[in-house]
Amino acid sequence: MLKTLGILAAGIAVAFGFGLLVDNAVPPFWALIVNLCGVSIILAVSLNVINGLTGQFSLGHAGFMAIGAYVSAYFTTTLRYFDPEVAKYVSQQPLFDGVWGFAPALLVGGLAAALAGLLVGIPTLRLKGDYLAIATLGFGEIVAILLTNFKQVGGSKGLTGIPSYADTSWIYAFVAICIAFSLFFQRSTFGRALIAIRENELAAEVMGIRTARMKVMAFVYGAFFAGLAGGLYAHLFQTINPGNFNFMKSVEVVVMLVLGGLGSLTGAIVGAIILTVLPEALRDLEREIALPGFRMALYALILILMMIFRPQGIFGQRELSLKLLRRILPGGRK
Amino acid sequence: MRKALALVLVCLALAVFFAGCGSKIGPGYDEKEVYIGLFVSTSGEIATFGTDTKNGVELAVEEINKAGGINGKQIKLIAYDTASKADEGKTAATKLATQDGVLVSMGAVASGISLAAAPEFQKYGIPMVSPSSTNPTVTQVGDHIFRICYLDDFQGGACAVFASKDLKAKKAAILQNQDDAYSTGLADFFEAKFKALGGEVVAKESYKKGASDFKTQVTNIKGKSPEVIFVPCYYNDVALIAKEFRAQDVTVPLLGGDGWESDKLIPSAGSALEGSYFGNHYSQEDDNPKVKKFVEAYKAKYGNVPSSLAALGYDVVYVVKEGIEKAGDFDRKKIRDALAGLKAFDGVTGKFDIDENRDARKPISMLKIEGERFAPVRQIKPEEVQ
Repeated sequence: MLKTLGILAAGIAVAFGFGLLVDNAVPPFWALIVNLCGVSIILAVSLNVINGLTGQFSLGHAGFMAIGAYVSAYFTTTLRYFDPEVAKYVSQQPLFDGVWGFAPALLVGGLAAALAGLLVGIPTLRLKGDYLAIATLGFGEIVAILLTNFKQVGGSKGLTGIPSYADTSWIYAFVAICIAFSLFFQRSTFGRALIAIRENELAAEVMGIRTARMKVMAFVYGAFFAGLAGGLYAHLFQTINPGNFNFMKSVEVVVMLVLGGLGSLTGAIVGAIILTVLPEALRDLEREIALPGFRMALYALILILMMIFRPQGIFGQRELSLKLLRRILPGGRK
Repeated sequence: MRKALALVLVCLALAVFFAGCGSKIGPGYDEKEVYIGLFVSTSGEIATFGTDTKNGVELAVEEINKAGGINGKQIKLIAYDTASKADEGKTAATKLATQDGVLVSMGAVASGISLAAAPEFQKYGIPMVSPSSTNPTVTQVGDHIFRICYLDDFQGGACAVFASKDLKAKKAAILQNQDDAYSTGLADFFEAKFKALGGEVVAKESYKKGASDFKTQVTNIKGKSPEVIFVPCYYNDVALIAKEFRAQDVTVPLLGGDGWESDKLIPSAGSALEGSYFGNHYSQEDDNPKVKKFVEAYKAKYGNVPSSLAALGYDVVYVVKEGIEKAGDFDRKKIRDALAGLKAFDGVTGKFDIDENRDARKPISMLKIEGERFAPVRQIKPEEVQ
């Protein structure tokens, strides 16, 4: 426990140092990519708890992200509307003002997403495999449709004018928190129980693990961090609409996991970084050869090749650690 | 401890690596060329819109460069795909602003993508001109954000004026897609204006996104016997709705907005839309020599008739050109001021001013469907709608 807290504190300190460096020394375009990577890492690492560790197939991560994004933005934004009818419903002053209002707003967003995770998790986690995937997919769609029909949050136009609070330090502080928690969880009784459920649910139940409760807890945990990621996303992009959180967003996060290796924490991080950087890195190439759509085709091709030659993902279920590096590098100690 | 140290070292190494790249944005031109950015979605869901826009833009750039460029400099078009995703709107905008250092930028079609990109251009003081984002909040992002298309409130109002004054209708019905902000927005503005002109909206029916059966709504509307039916929807729904009206022997004209424009509209609706009207950004059959020249050049280059989005893409380049020429200098601040004061710009989508909200004040072309043709009826000017 003490060690985990130490790692957490060190992680946050490194994040703030990293943030200072990125803000001052990195060109804005690459700084934005670094920030986007941070949001993707939180999404992938939190989904890894549900899809990787527990072995449940959730396709609703964008729904939780949307809840976190909308709720936190609702608290930090001076809501201005084109439609005077709507202006009646909303506060003209942000409820949580200033950068220091950002942390509580994010927290409320995360908690709202966690609550949604609880409400959705209890009935749906009785389902298995494809059925769970379909139910969570349905949940994501419901969130998007509800947001489209709520005039109070701008309907299909979405929210604009969200303050730009999420800088590198903030994002990577949460990345550090998310990773530290996941590390701790993987090695705790809770994490071991989740892995037992993944490997054989019946055997886990026989061993005295309350599988239904464990699965719901994993779901709520994943939803909470997805909500945080959504809040960071909203305050990074300064504008959100229901279309940002559609089915494709959920799929993107699942693909990050599958690419990195389902069940591997470092795999989730590496997958998130690759899939965020790749489309941007290919941008110049696409412009050079003047073939529109080439970037997306190449991106798909890389995924297909990956699935053919390494279906378990880059890391499989292994973790990248100094020990593994030593084993792989030539001349290293065994 | 060793791990933490390693992390800090990695951070330092990264910082040193990136520090070499520098972070000041460029002037936006060199001795020979002026850099102009474009970000539209040429892949993903709305790829057809982005591709049409890009075709129009490229045609205009080619013409301008052939004629000697802008103030003696050739245009270097730097175009990025935004893959129909708002995230990519922001990354493309940041890249255009900070890596490529464009002088002015153009884009996007979808309002969601324009909204994600606009704060970046605003932050770096680079003028951004959107060819076709209709959401009012786009230009509210800041004083460097412009647009050259009309807004949905004007479009809905203009259709009401047309229904009341040209079609002499006293009773109108509305059929809207309740899940689409474009559709409900147009419907609301139509209703308000039509009532203000002394008309009566006898029925307002809604359907859900993806619906294919309109029997109930059509029967309800038929019972109220309106003289015109306003259908502010996209062409695929419009074709099905028109067929249902004709199947139930409702023969009054239908009326709609720019969502109707598509070369697939007539093939899928058949004769059901004969004699109906819709408002559009321009008419392909306009007698204006400027429009004729554009339509011919576009056909020669791409083999099809240019859509409104292509026409707006073509105009946006000329708007940027006029802005730079009026400024007399390749200075972003001066160009912004010139764009903000742009008056009587003469483009293929009509003659227009940029107003104090940095939006275009321009006419709408009302078209009548005659066989396979979209025949121009008349233009409705902004003054008529206010």
